[in-house]
Amino acid sequence: MQFEVFRSSLAPNFPDGAVLRVLGDLDMAGAPRLRNAVVSEVGAGTRLVVLDLTGVDHLDSTGLGAVVGALRRLRTHDGELRVVCPEPRVRRVFEVCDLDRVLELHVDVDTALEGMTVQ
Amino acid sequence: MNPSRPADRPVEAVELFIPPLPEYLQLVRAVVGATVGVGREDELPLDPGGIADLRLVVSEAVTNAIEAQWSIGANDRILVRCRPDQKQTVVEVVDRGPGFDPDLVPDLPPVEDEERLDHESGLGLSLMKRLADGTVVETGPGGTIIRLVVEYP
Repeated sequence: MQFEVFRSSLAPNFPDGAVLRVLGDLDMAGAPRLRNAVVSEVGAGTRLVVLDLTGVDHLDSTGLGAVVGALRRLRTHDGELRVVCPEPRVRRVFEVCDLDRVLELHVDVDTALEGMTVQ
Repeated sequence: MNPSRPADRPVEAVELFIPPLPEYLQLVRAVVGATVGVGREDELPLDPGGIADLRLVVSEAVTNAIEAQWSIGANDRILVRCRPDQKQTVVEVVDRGPGFDPDLVPDLPPVEDEERLDHESGLGLSLMKRLADGTVVETGPGGTIIRLVVEYP
């Protein structure tokens, strides 16, 4: 299956926000492309990233590493990462690695944005 | 003669030799999943969650193998051998990397520790140990064999 990262803006409600929708397997093959996408976003001034993993069929530790890297990069720039991950099989990988304790996993983009102040 | 599926014959070992490239991970997962996941759903030895775990641990082992070979520029093909039987599936992943001491793989900082975010790798072995019923690492200067055992419920 093809791996793609689709971007959509969260403007006007969140001018510095974007959704990155990942489609495919987030493994050693796909992770570098997610990493590049996040680096580009932060470089372009994006400070709120909603990472939508709804279309991810397979997530492994290399993919988790890319998610952790995204979280660190955004925090370093006073930004925020929110993760959408409704699929139990994919959520389980976060849970097995205890990463659900540092990353809240949301069921959809609207829920991920709850509590955020519209700018 | 009508060719037909040999119903009672156990699936024999399936072997794959793959180049050390991440693009082949998906193929490995598909083949390993198929060795235990083909047939009527109520007759499969593992439920979909069990098959997902099997695919995940094998993916981790092959990722380790690819990284090991990249570390010394070895282009040898990696062997993935999957042996399902009546009680369990055993998967072996054989690389020609430099070998490593699994006891020396450092523990990651606790997940709540801010320093934990500095570590983007190092979870693979831990995932294998947590999700497989057995994880055996045989390693030496000529390479590593990771043997994963997934038992049927």
